[in-house]
Amino acid sequence: MTIKNSPRRILYLYWRLYSQQLKAMMEYSADFYIMIGAAALTQITGFLFLWVVFSRIPDIQGWGLWEIAFMYAAIYVSEGFGSLFFEGTWRMLRLVNLGELDRYLVRPVPIVLQIFCTGIGMNGLGNIVIGGAIIAMSLSPIDIVWNLQTIFMALLMFASAMTIRVAINLAANCSAFWIRSSGNAFPIMIHNLGEFAKYPITIFSMGLQLLISIVVPFAFVSFFPAAALFGREPWSWWGWLSPLVAAYFVGLALLILRIGLRRYESAGN
Amino acid sequence: MSLIETKGLRKVFRQAVKEPGLAGAVKHLFTQRYRDKSAVEGIDLTIEEGETVAYVGPNGAGKSTTIKMLSGVLVPSGGEIRVDGLVPHKQRMENAQRIGAVFGQRTQLWWDIPVRESLGLLRDIYQVPPETFKRNMDAFTELLGMEDFLHLSARKLSLGQRMRADLAAALLHDPKIVYLDEPTIGLDVAVKHRIRDFIKEMNRNKGTTMLLTTHDLGDIEDLCERLIIIDQGRIIYDGKLREVKDAFARERTIHMQLSSPIPEAESLFRDLPDVRVVRPAEDQGASSLSVRFDRFRCTASDIVKRLMNRGEVVDFRIDEPSIEEIIRRVYEGQLDSESLLLAGRGSA
Amino acid sequence: MKKYVSLALCSMQNTLAYRLSFILNFVANFIGLIAMYCLWQAIYTGRAELSGFTWGQMQSYLLITFFVNSMLSYYSESSITNKIIDGSVMMDLLRPIQFQKARLAESLGSCVLEGLLSCLLIGLAAVFTLGIQLPNDAATLLLFLFSMASSILVKFGIVYLSALLCFWTTSGFGIYWARTSITNLLSGALVPLAFFPSWLQSTAMLLPFQGIVNTPVTIGLGMTEGIEALRLIGIQWVWIVLLWLLGKWMWSGAVRQITIHGG
Repeated sequence: MTIKNSPRRILYLYWRLYSQQLKAMMEYSADFYIMIGAAALTQITGFLFLWVVFSRIPDIQGWGLWEIAFMYAAIYVSEGFGSLFFEGTWRMLRLVNLGELDRYLVRPVPIVLQIFCTGIGMNGLGNIVIGGAIIAMSLSPIDIVWNLQTIFMALLMFASAMTIRVAINLAANCSAFWIRSSGNAFPIMIHNLGEFAKYPITIFSMGLQLLISIVVPFAFVSFFPAAALFGREPWSWWGWLSPLVAAYFVGLALLILRIGLRRYESAGN
Repeated sequence: MSLIETKGLRKVFRQAVKEPGLAGAVKHLFTQRYRDKSAVEGIDLTIEEGETVAYVGPNGAGKSTTIKMLSGVLVPSGGEIRVDGLVPHKQRMENAQRIGAVFGQRTQLWWDIPVRESLGLLRDIYQVPPETFKRNMDAFTELLGMEDFLHLSARKLSLGQRMRADLAAALLHDPKIVYLDEPTIGLDVAVKHRIRDFIKEMNRNKGTTMLLTTHDLGDIEDLCERLIIIDQGRIIYDGKLREVKDAFARERTIHMQLSSPIPEAESLFRDLPDVRVVRPAEDQGASSLSVRFDRFRCTASDIVKRLMNRGEVVDFRIDEPSIEEIIRRVYEGQLDSESLLLAGRGSA
Repeated sequence: MKKYVSLALCSMQNTLAYRLSFILNFVANFIGLIAMYCLWQAIYTGRAELSGFTWGQMQSYLLITFFVNSMLSYYSESSITNKIIDGSVMMDLLRPIQFQKARLAESLGSCVLEGLLSCLLIGLAAVFTLGIQLPNDAATLLLFLFSMASSILVKFGIVYLSALLCFWTTSGFGIYWARTSITNLLSGALVPLAFFPSWLQSTAMLLPFQGIVNTPVTIGLGMTEGIEALRLIGIQWVWIVLLWLLGKWMWSGAVRQITIHGG
């Protein structure tokens, strides 16, 4: 019997694996709400910070409160998206160190799909709701010309941004194959590079700008889409690169995973 | 072509060498040194369809590593490997569809959801046709006695229940080959028998090829016709279970109950090769006596006759070594691998 | 007393054993510091002063805040919550030690290493930005250092209380996140309290969090002096005692929780 992994089957399996995780999660309902609440709280305090700063100054290098709030929220929404639907990437350490990847490897389902469905981060829901609200709020004070082109571009950039975030999470967490004793410290460090993308990248030195545009392209999650949407020159056309950057980083993440799997030693050795 | 074929299969693990102290840790961040540890060193294996093979060896001999390479979990460091014509780690998905695996203490099931739903999820993953699924579920529930715990989540199962559920999970899609890594470890006798009967049944009725690693010699005697012993990453015996017994069950021990102690019994056998007198430690100088000998170099009657000349033998019993003892002696390094290999080759 | 000293030493050794994780954690936090530094630099472009802070003072504020946040970091905090989550708290109940004191001892033990490592990073940062101003008279310096030490104890009080909440949940992350975001906002770690609108500022001053960052920062930058500085330190100590007692009270409730769980 041959197995065909059509996109439909992949989606169906994702749904099956995901919904089982969801059922399992319902057993710990207290955690469920604490996680949602904590993420929302973190994001609200972050927004309060911006609001407090902007109550003292009109703009930062020409960027107003709502423009920066948009970038800030974009980083959180993508983080939430990664947690809510692809939290499994953050469980790689466990999968590798305890040899739990064994059981994934003996199943006729793509490894990445199984990794994605290893867990659900309910905190993501808090991030998406609050981040979405901030983005919605930020869109009205900002002058955006809405036409077919901007709508198409916005959708394209959104899909790319989420893909880039998940690919970064996956690539960073593959460190588990190399450094096994350091907890999640390395992926968290990479995750924290997202801090640089919460603000207009022009406030950073050239080195940092290159770092978050090319090496770990968080800028394509927040800054470039924002600049494109707001028609800010000279970055407005950069947003069209988003799908390319997404493809490049997905490829990179899958390559790292493949190399990592070759090194995988299971447990007890 | 055989179902499973490996040639010169090797697996080397890299171990980081760390220098002590903070300076060492900082240094380790930049320059890493490694030591190679060989887990499997050149294994040639041929297994035919429908065979039941026991793969045994001491801890760290490379049993699990081999099984994990065959099942596509680990990527070999060298050598060739074909399972049903596929290279497992390269054609992982196709291979996965044809095999089932039970990895000892680690479960295949989802921890927090009922067993029944776990099995339903596996049905979708392996794309098991509905009629096959129903037939297998009915048969397995009956054979493994799963009725009582199908509604419980894996987290709530006892070890024996979990192992039965795991077996069902591994065989649900009618795999051609099943790898069982320590399937009966830590289980009570009743469950062990149930699991062995199930494995036998699957092998007989469906012709499923089984490769199992185990420390339980009951499993071997009960399930397997063929025995492969591995030590330090190399195969040191590969042959029929019966033949290894014939080759190594040369030694016999006669236990005797005497009416009165025989002083210096050793002197009676001085002219016979390989005969040793063993006195039970707790019964120094008293009336029981054991004599160990090679049945190809002298006979039991010869030994008993010599003793009867010196005293009265009230009762006696002859022991032959069990397969357990042979393997234990291999583990302890008492039987060298040369003689085992010779035995294996002689019997092949 | 001696047993708690050994616990502290043990915790130091343990931290050293997981040094890679420990160091990477620090670097991760340092990234946040750099981002904030650049943001404030951009904000101060063309401005001499904001809410009473000059750019020079703001740089010192960022470095002092980084130091205070590094003490009793995620690393130490998670070691308390993990004890509760994974049930190894039972082992502590079998020993003749007080849970609260033992955790304090361990936290202080790893604080020594956290302090050393963050001083190193801050030293490096200070060399590159030339931006740290420390009090130049001995009395203020002493008050500053004392308020820093006290701030660790205030933080312990809050961390300990939130960790005990884990007796009622199965995962520590949510509680940790909630605790961090509240502490960051109300302690003045995210932005100096002076930037707050006055109602939020006066609310923050009534809560224990301000003792963690605001007190040492304003003393260190010479914004509060003399009697006022002593008063802030006094408030820190009132909170240290209150939080400790609250911790004791909550622990006795939490222990009952264990016996219920254990059946």
